Amino acid sequence: MAVTEEPGKPRNWQERLQILQDRLYDRLFHNFVWRSIFRSGYPNTPRSQMLVVATNVFLHLHPTRIHRTHVKITHTYCLGGLTFFMFIVLTVTGVLLMFYYVPSTETAYQDIAALHTNVKFGLLMRNLHRWTAHAMVILVFLHMMRVFYTGAYKPPREFNWVVGVTLLFLTLFLSFTGYLLPWDQLAIWAITVGHGIAGSAPYLGDEGQFVLFGGFEIGQPALIRFYTLHVLALPLLAAIMMAVHFWRIRRDGGMARPL
Amino acid sequence: MAVETERPAAPPERPVAAARPRPKREREEELLVWPDLVFVEFISAVLFTLTFMLLSVFINAPLLNRANTDITPNPSKAPWYFLNLQELLLHMDKAWAGVILPIMFLGFLAVIPYLDRSSEKQGVWFGTKYSARIALVAALYAIVVTWGLVLFDDGERSKFEYATRWIPSCDMNAESGQPEAHQFPPCLVDTAAGHQGIVRASVDLQGPPQGRFMFSVGSLDWPADVDHIPWPFNDNKVGCWSFKNIHGWCGEHFNLAGTFAQQIFPLSTIAFLTVLIIYILFRIGWVRTTRDVMIVMFTGALSAYLTLTIVMSFFRGPGQDLILPTDIKVDCGTLPSPPGCP
Repeated sequence: MAVTEEPGKPRNWQERLQILQDRLYDRLFHNFVWRSIFRSGYPNTPRSQMLVVATNVFLHLHPTRIHRTHVKITHTYCLGGLTFFMFIVLTVTGVLLMFYYVPSTETAYQDIAALHTNVKFGLLMRNLHRWTAHAMVILVFLHMMRVFYTGAYKPPREFNWVVGVTLLFLTLFLSFTGYLLPWDQLAIWAITVGHGIAGSAPYLGDEGQFVLFGGFEIGQPALIRFYTLHVLALPLLAAIMMAVHFWRIRRDGGMARPL
Repeated sequence: MAVETERPAAPPERPVAAARPRPKREREEELLVWPDLVFVEFISAVLFTLTFMLLSVFINAPLLNRANTDITPNPSKAPWYFLNLQELLLHMDKAWAGVILPIMFLGFLAVIPYLDRSSEKQGVWFGTKYSARIALVAALYAIVVTWGLVLFDDGERSKFEYATRWIPSCDMNAESGQPEAHQFPPCLVDTAAGHQGIVRASVDLQGPPQGRFMFSVGSLDWPADVDHIPWPFNDNKVGCWSFKNIHGWCGEHFNLAGTFAQQIFPLSTIAFLTVLIIYILFRIGWVRTTRDVMIVMFTGALSAYLTLTIVMSFFRGPGQDLILPTDIKVDCGTLPSPPGCP
């Protein structure tokens, strides 16, 4: 005798709960709004899992498959990915900080001080921005060491290593340009040291100093230059180089592994 | 069926070595990025977010007083990742330390894959036989040598003067306060004026020679007699030629002592010490390929970079004097006052 459960007649409270859950799930995930955003359900077959990586705008920089050894945490320690993640955190917190910051020598310091006292979560955002910036510099170096000591720069990945060196330079320069913006004693004197170093360049010292700092001392021209470089030019350049960097990993045959 | 039975018998299968498992195909060794890799990425992102949230709740970013160009902090220091350059500036010509060597360092990093063209041993940590121990030796060597050079060049200005105490002091003229002429054997002038390393000689042509390291051969004194050598054809008759700050023969003089102390000695020391460790490791058979040479140079450069950063961060006090980290005074001129201030 074919036994079919009688629907709609819950016998105890567990079954009532189950029905409630199912209805809730249906309402949440099987409606036309949700379906308009996520065209297919949770990817639970190999085919749909590959498709979601290949077709999702945020995931498509990945390959759809990856060698078993590369998922091991000790192979990369996620260093490159974490560097990129730091960049994302810095972008988000940086945008929030930009709402409150005016790059003028008159107001810059008060704006930063106001973040500490007047702005809800302003200090938290500033702290996050600062510590993740330091972390990004450290992670870039660690990532470079990982790539070097695993020999991952070797052919055919030579050019991607060069792109990486460019990104190292951009990261340092991004951090350096951000250092001046609080316009406090720490900022101005640290940048003054950098100003002196730039001025010592042979043959181009004075010109280089003038291009970067807008004058022979740290003032409003230097602040607006550093601000523009820090919030616009360098992040844009870094984002482009990162796109190239990530794309080249796949074009060069994925992550390095023994031949 | 009849058709099938007419087929010739299949050739007997080749005997399979039982002990040797079938090598796995490429595809079998692969995992799907979703969920295997995306999961790892997600977890590490969450862990880092939490860590930095907690860090930011408990430790505030520094904010000192408003920028004031009239109040110079002593010492004033660059951002921490440039402190190595600032440390290097104390020991050699500023164009070399601040600009040329860093560019050479970045340039060296960029050309590593074009020097080491072999594609073997990639994708595994420390692929070649001795590479792990080469890296360790190179790192220790660079740390020891960098510290040694910093202490040696710092001489009498620091608490670490025993690094140069074996060099005798120069005889000083009691009346003028200047060192006596014609000193032999080579000696060091004890001076507290500014930061003066052992081989440092002033490139400033005004005033008395300020080199600390003095000796004489016959009547010829180092550095007093060699820091003002006229260029040939220095009579200014052909007219002055200059472009930017490249100067022609406008009655200028060549500072041999300064050039030696600021450029030739530091740079040749760097080059010599690099070649030395590579040669030693080559002779004992650890360095065998270009890859090994790259490991020595990369590790050595990074370790020296890190060591110089540490020296400048934790061992430089007012006037960029070399002191112990415990002796670094907190600057009480900031708001809010750091702990330990009235």
